[in-house]
Amino acid sequence: MTLHPHTRFTLPDELNAVEPPEARGLARDQVKLLVAKGTTVTHTRFDRIGEHLRPGDLLLVNTSETLAAAVDGSWITGSGVAPVVVHFSTALDDGDWVVELRHDGSPVFGGSAGDQVELPEGVLTLLEPYQPSGTRLWRARPPVGEMVGYLRRNGRPISYKYVGRRWPLALYQTVFADQPGSAEMPSAGRPFSFELVSRLAAAGILIAPILLHCGVSSLESHEPPLPERFEVSEHTARLVNWVKANGGRVIAAGTTAVRAIESAARPDVVASKGWTDLVLGPDHPATVVDGLITGMHAPEASHLLLLESVVGGDVVQNAYDAALEHSYLWHEFGDVSLLLRH
Amino acid sequence: MTSESVTRPVALLTGASAGLGLALAHGLADRGWALIIDARGAAALKDAADALAAKTDVVPLAGDVTDAEHRADLVDAVGELGRLDLLVNNASYLGASPLQPLAGVELEELRRVYEVDVVAPIALTQALVPELSKAAGIVINLSSDAAVEAYEGWGGYGSAKAALDHASAVLAVENPGLAVYAVDPGDLRTAMHQAAFPGEDISDRPEPASVVPAFLRLLDSRPASGRYRASEFAPAVTS
Repeated sequence: MTLHPHTRFTLPDELNAVEPPEARGLARDQVKLLVAKGTTVTHTRFDRIGEHLRPGDLLLVNTSETLAAAVDGSWITGSGVAPVVVHFSTALDDGDWVVELRHDGSPVFGGSAGDQVELPEGVLTLLEPYQPSGTRLWRARPPVGEMVGYLRRNGRPISYKYVGRRWPLALYQTVFADQPGSAEMPSAGRPFSFELVSRLAAAGILIAPILLHCGVSSLESHEPPLPERFEVSEHTARLVNWVKANGGRVIAAGTTAVRAIESAARPDVVASKGWTDLVLGPDHPATVVDGLITGMHAPEASHLLLLESVVGGDVVQNAYDAALEHSYLWHEFGDVSLLLRH
Repeated sequence: MTSESVTRPVALLTGASAGLGLALAHGLADRGWALIIDARGAAALKDAADALAAKTDVVPLAGDVTDAEHRADLVDAVGELGRLDLLVNNASYLGASPLQPLAGVELEELRRVYEVDVVAPIALTQALVPELSKAAGIVINLSSDAAVEAYEGWGGYGSAKAALDHASAVLAVENPGLAVYAVDPGDLRTAMHQAAFPGEDISDRPEPASVVPAFLRLLDSRPASGRYRASEFAPAVTS
């Protein structure tokens, strides 16, 4: 099933954020912020986001920590040995991992079941394609049992072509990160600084943790997002229901937080833990969140469908038109939007 | 739904991409005011908004104040920001450049002068009186000494500004909870002033930024509604 977002735009290359804001001379909370509500777009800076929130609003923040999920290796094929980068996307329940092999910044589609990739400390074995539809993602046996420490020793953060060079793992962490497990940074949390979080708390803005370990994103693809491991605690579930019953707004920091909380809606939110394959979109709108904080997503990304499912296609199109006109920067190191239903 | 946490004041300024409007926008931004700004030229407005966004929240809306739909967008933006403390009707139209004597003025030009300088400010004020009243707000209508002095060639613009002066006075009487000011900023080094004196050197006129402190003092002191010259609020010069 291929779904196209309502929002259409062309992203010029110069609007890809090629480096973290810190490298552009900005603090993490000084990136641009676009606030879209109804037909109105306000331009501001992220450290002033509190001006657009109210006491009693609840921010849901993803506490997943980014792994150094990219590891260099040698893929042994029938015809020889090829250098590849293994992207470790998702830890499965039985200890296997979902992985993607990459070469020169592009996915490798030529893998076969039984292929081995030589890695530091051991060998990765491809077991079977993870999705029936293709050979981009594989279920694989990792080189060691305990992969979090392994990646800390041997990996580096996943980065895509538009990011010009390698940046240290610390630049891929949010101030909320405390549970390792994301292949890619849950980037909507990145612009929060410790100081900003304190100011929001002092202003009566509530903050509650939620967990969703991000798998690899497939940029520019029409594929629905992969199943991801998530957790909504009893405390967070109760708080969300309380806030909604008391006139506050539930605002998710990131598409990951939206996916997690919406996966726990019955329709009231209940404590939940496990895997979510929820795909939000026109036929499955968001019912819990009243808005979200999110980075700028590539055209045609399934994320756009999620955004539209929260605030509607027109608000998203307005926001993206304005972001392009005002030269906002895209992707994990770029600028941010706050999209509000009301 | 208004936002109780929005404590910062909000101003709507028309014609804010250049000249006095832009200077006032920066003066208010430096004080932490959130701004809704408009101008006809989208490119210049974008540049203005990008510079202001580093200081404050800014909603730029490109359009012509004589366009009812554009005015409705401005009113929507006020609703989304949840309050309005100040309306500055600054967008103005001089008429043909070089200036024409009234006996030879094209009536279509004259109509546009009145549409921009009289009808649009009244229309915008009408639509925003409810929000302004909630905040005991202020309306500033930009005037000119041409509204009170009879200068050759200034018949269209001057009479329109005279009409706006009088409309301001009546609005003040009808809305005692608001402060309504007609303010003559004096001659400034702006595109409009240059259009009034095509080909002449106007570099002896002060920069628009020079009168911003006077406008801020007017806001701070909130005198009785009426017509004022900005120079009356100029900070005392200490030598």
